[in-house]
Amino acid sequence: MSFADPLWLLLLALLPLALIAQRYSRRRTRTYAVRFPAAATLQRALAEGGDRRLRRQLPIAALLVALALLVGAIAAPRVNHRVPIRAASLMLVLDHSGSMASSDVAPTRLQAAISAANTFIDQLPASARVGVVAFSTAPDTVQQPVTNHAETRTAIDNQQAVGGTDTGPALQLALQLLHGSQKGHPPAAIVLLSDGAANLGIDPVTVARLAHQERIPIYTVALGTPDGTLNEGLFSAPVPVPPDPQLMRAIARTSGGHAYDAQTESYLSSIYATLGRSLSTVNRKRDISVYFLIAAGLLLLAAALASVRTAARLP
Amino acid sequence: MPERSDLVAASPVLRPPTGAPQQSAGAPRQSEGALRQSAAALRPPDARQGPGPIPGALLDALDVAIQRLIARTLAGSRRATGVGLGTELAQLRPYESGDDVRHIDAAASARTATLHVRVHVPERALTTWIVLDLSSSMAFGTTARLKADVAEGAALVFARLGLRRAGSVGVVACGVPGEPGGIRVLPPRGSKPGLVAVRKLLEEGVSPDGRSDPDMLAAALGRVFKLSRLPGLVAVISDFRDQHEWERPLGALRLRHAVVAVEIGDPAEAELPAVGRLALVDPETGELLRVDSSNRRLRERFAALERERRAAVASELRRLGIKHIALSTDQDWLVEIGRRIG
Repeated sequence: MSFADPLWLLLLALLPLALIAQRYSRRRTRTYAVRFPAAATLQRALAEGGDRRLRRQLPIAALLVALALLVGAIAAPRVNHRVPIRAASLMLVLDHSGSMASSDVAPTRLQAAISAANTFIDQLPASARVGVVAFSTAPDTVQQPVTNHAETRTAIDNQQAVGGTDTGPALQLALQLLHGSQKGHPPAAIVLLSDGAANLGIDPVTVARLAHQERIPIYTVALGTPDGTLNEGLFSAPVPVPPDPQLMRAIARTSGGHAYDAQTESYLSSIYATLGRSLSTVNRKRDISVYFLIAAGLLLLAAALASVRTAARLP
Repeated sequence: MPERSDLVAASPVLRPPTGAPQQSAGAPRQSEGALRQSAAALRPPDARQGPGPIPGALLDALDVAIQRLIARTLAGSRRATGVGLGTELAQLRPYESGDDVRHIDAAASARTATLHVRVHVPERALTTWIVLDLSSSMAFGTTARLKADVAEGAALVFARLGLRRAGSVGVVACGVPGEPGGIRVLPPRGSKPGLVAVRKLLEEGVSPDGRSDPDMLAAALGRVFKLSRLPGLVAVISDFRDQHEWERPLGALRLRHAVVAVEIGDPAEAELPAVGRLALVDPETGELLRVDSSNRRLRERFAALERERRAAVASELRRLGIKHIALSTDQDWLVEIGRRIG
């Protein structure tokens, strides 16, 4: 919670003044107090009935809290509030090359990526459009951004780990599908998941530069551990398949996105969940002074009722 | 018996405090003149009403009742009645021409080398002592008159009755500021000077607020015990409020004198009226108290404690065999005295 005009909160310093004024007015009581010789007996009667001092202070306490809330309302309190971006389009670019079969991320890199992508879609509001470009040697599975998330899920779930890693053309295709070349295209972002160096086609950093011009950030996730290996057959030695975080960082930096390194499945899911939330929604500050006013009004009413009942006056 | 309550002017009524500062009922008047005089002096209370008329016929009727009370209490223990001027020595004074030479005291004349005569008082002449509470709590009343007004009336009644048949009246007033121990003594005097002295003291009013002495009544009773040689009548006029240890000196007085205790109260002291939130101040201690008088349980507790306190006073007086006259500010106090004594 924050305040739009926190300077108004300085008025809170007046509350102690109100307390002091009240004390002073109580001291003035002596000027109109009624002389009563049986005061000693009355004091004993009061003591026998238990001290109701606290209960007597309740109305004034409620009044002070209500005043504090009013001051808070003047200072325009706001809370952060996430609202869905209208017509947000998101593109998952998923690597399903042969190295994704490595099991350094349990159960395999590809399975982890698929479940994480599903988590990502879970986080999206229904109005967000999501599509997928799965690639290995070439972008082979293409799903346009649609609001029907089930179609995208099906496309993701059907991936098999086979082939090389050709990141550049896949990113290029994703950009096209997001209508990046059109001016005033709806807000969009690309989430790239890959585990290896791009070894074919157009340089992904070039595509990233283009994406930056088209204001489509690319968020990259490098999946896998540096000592990940791939067992290709029973009689061949394990092939090392380390991810290429440097390239991923370069893509993210160039396009204005952010790079993540995921080495476990749970971390990957959490990255995707965070991305899903932050890419499809935007932080808005919402004014909540009306709630402050309602609370202050209720407290004022309570204080008035309580003191009218006992003292036949407002506190 | 004329109706006297209609002679009373505005009656001070216990009101809930309003915003405007108001002089509370019965507070001693603090005029500039009074301030210039002395801070430590008796002051007539603001809402003073006076005791109202005291008709002679009613007094005559009371006289008979009081004489009966005295005769009953003191019969057999009174000094032997003699003929003539009496046998009880009042004082020794220098001889003046015209004095009876038979009263010349040889021993005193020889000691002082001047002629002295013995002056005797007739023992039938009764000395009445009035113990009068002048503390600031007496300046309180919510109905017809103040407690101090009722006390004034009772003191006047006992003074006027005591002065009959050549009697003399002495007053021991307690709670008087500026006096040692808060006690002022008017020595017994007979006839007109006695009444004038009592009236003058009563005119002065009561003690200003802010003085409390829980032992003053006991001290005043002890003083009466020391001063009174002859058996007589002692009238104790007080509200018996916030006083300690008065039972023992009162019992000692009872052994020698006919004692009448006049307890003065106010209806508002017995039961708190339901008038909402109240700011109350104890006139003697100055203690400030804020109460919600609309609280029924508090009022009941207060009334129970007050009943208990008054019952304790009454039972103590009954134990000592002392005539107890309880007067209230809302009734005809003179009729009530007659009813209780008769």
